[in-house]
Amino acid sequence: MPGVAGDVSSKGFWSRFLLPGGVWLLLLFVVPICLVLALSFGYTDDLGRAVYSFGLENYQDAFDPLYIPVLLRSIGFAVATAAFCLLLGYPIAYYIARYGGRRKHILIALLVIPFFVNYLVRTYAWVALLADEGLVNSALKDLGLTETGIQFVNTPYAVVGGLVYGYLVFMILPIYASLERMDGSLIEAGKDLFGTPSRVFMHVTLPQTKQGILAGCVLVFLPAVGDFVSAQLLGGPDTYMVGNLIQDQFFAASNWPFGSALTVVMMLFLSIWMLGYLRSAAREARDPVAAGGV
Amino acid sequence: MTLDPRLNRRQLLRAGAGGALGLYGLGALNGCTVERPIDKPESTAAIKPEIDGDILIYNWAQYMDPDIKKRFSEKYGVEVNEVNFDNLEAMVTKLRAGGRYDIIWPTPEYAYRLNQEGLLHRFNRDSLNNAKGISSFYDKGWWDPDSELSIPYTYYTTGIAWRNDVVSGMTGSWNDLTNPDGAGKMFILDDFQEAIGEANLINGWDLNTADPNELEISKQTLLDQKEYARGISTNSTANLVNGTAVIHQAWNGDIVNVRNQVDNPEDFSYETCEEGVPVGTDLMCIPITARAPGTALKFIDWVIQPDNAAQNVMWNGYPQPVEGGKEAFASLVKDEPSIDVKLEALGDGGMEYRLDDPDDRALWNQTWTEVKAS
Repeated sequence: MPGVAGDVSSKGFWSRFLLPGGVWLLLLFVVPICLVLALSFGYTDDLGRAVYSFGLENYQDAFDPLYIPVLLRSIGFAVATAAFCLLLGYPIAYYIARYGGRRKHILIALLVIPFFVNYLVRTYAWVALLADEGLVNSALKDLGLTETGIQFVNTPYAVVGGLVYGYLVFMILPIYASLERMDGSLIEAGKDLFGTPSRVFMHVTLPQTKQGILAGCVLVFLPAVGDFVSAQLLGGPDTYMVGNLIQDQFFAASNWPFGSALTVVMMLFLSIWMLGYLRSAAREARDPVAAGGV
Repeated sequence: MTLDPRLNRRQLLRAGAGGALGLYGLGALNGCTVERPIDKPESTAAIKPEIDGDILIYNWAQYMDPDIKKRFSEKYGVEVNEVNFDNLEAMVTKLRAGGRYDIIWPTPEYAYRLNQEGLLHRFNRDSLNNAKGISSFYDKGWWDPDSELSIPYTYYTTGIAWRNDVVSGMTGSWNDLTNPDGAGKMFILDDFQEAIGEANLINGWDLNTADPNELEISKQTLLDQKEYARGISTNSTANLVNGTAVIHQAWNGDIVNVRNQVDNPEDFSYETCEEGVPVGTDLMCIPITARAPGTALKFIDWVIQPDNAAQNVMWNGYPQPVEGGKEAFASLVKDEPSIDVKLEALGDGGMEYRLDDPDDRALWNQTWTEVKAS
């Protein structure tokens, strides 16, 4: 950050405090990932034990065309999830940031509170609510809106619905932050120039919050691609995702090396998207005007 | 935050050196298993049922009446502590990594592998007071040819559960999974052995066939069934209770739980199938790392004592293949006798999953993945 105090002595002072966090990350994040990487070249012995080795068979298997539909389906679900999260989340973030007033922090807290409960447990609750003879269908039948009930669960819609519910807050928070940072007088200036609300939004607010939207999309898309809970509990016979495939290798097929190879391939694939986002963020920071900002 | 995309030469060299060092470290792992080898005791003599300390049992959650443990504790003055696992891979991993548990609950396939690794204690069944009540089905099982490694805890048969108020025309065959009354509301178990197993039986193959041509045909059978399926799931109890399923490949213990949870238990039926009845078992075994193997064996004897077995069955709803347990289960399901599958009566129809060749296992898994992925 140019212009902020950054003399050598204070840099040295603060560097020391990096040590505990750095060691923590090295031991509990970098080392396990290296072990996953190492195991991905391994094999399973006659007794079902995973053995480290230097074979490429797992990667050959990982690129079997059989898995292409699974990967495409996962990306499709994740893109749909990010799109719905954006459509639902932006107005919520906008309302809280612009009109939340004194209740702002309470509203944000209310958004976060459901996340104190584990995602798996909340998804089970969805199954109970949306089942054919669940609470929602019972209510609909009592109201006379449907006679036979509606099939919600075991559909691709339910899987995307579960993902949207699970990751919505990761879209709202960065957009809220970027709206908070934005100078409100810019909107007033837009109105003074006889902009209609929609034109002011399109030409002033939206470009100003572009980085928040991008950050939200990345935060929702990346975990959604690898999710397995939603498809496992809310999905049907045709909603198998990459996360389910990997989970099955570890817990059902006793094939940790292949599961590791799939994990590495997916991490590399997701890193490409992450790099794209980082480059766009860096470009924006260097040259906000060319990148579409004001 | 501004990122400097350019790395200078020195940073590149440093990163390269770090990477090389890392690769060297990984090379040292070559040939190692994920878990380090554990220290095994020298003596491998058969253990005897005698109190030699407190025990820690490693079981599925909610699988044993706590009162059984409590009364054992009071009678013999030792503690019975329990920890739980939620899948067998996790249990085996902890055991291989040197976790010290006194009793574990593996399936026959896992017990077989653990024994091959030398991880199980041997004992003489005759040294137990209640071994004579064990069903003859468990004499010299393939995983335990001398009946010296394991005692059966519960067993379950795989069949088809269905809603008799919605579905008619069930015939007692695995083809009932595609009964048109259940189309769109049928579930296959999300278990590669149960799924491929029923398809093998429909096609007339051996339950455990590993012939690629036969498995290819069974895969097609499953893909055809998938057209009728609403899902692939092991939550059979919940799927039946909340009305999502009207036909469900299921274990007989599940249907007991379903009937306990609904207002209309008479609407839920269960059948085993004429092509073959897969029988699954959860065994009790004593790991070689047990701290008190004598107490552990005494506790196993206590669990299969007829009155305790009966009490435990009434508590968890799963049949136990021992005196007391069998009768208790029969009384639990007396208004729907089809649920009470008697092992001795199955004859050749009772079959067990057995894939001890890792290549066969991989082929089955691959086949199942192809069914699920396509």
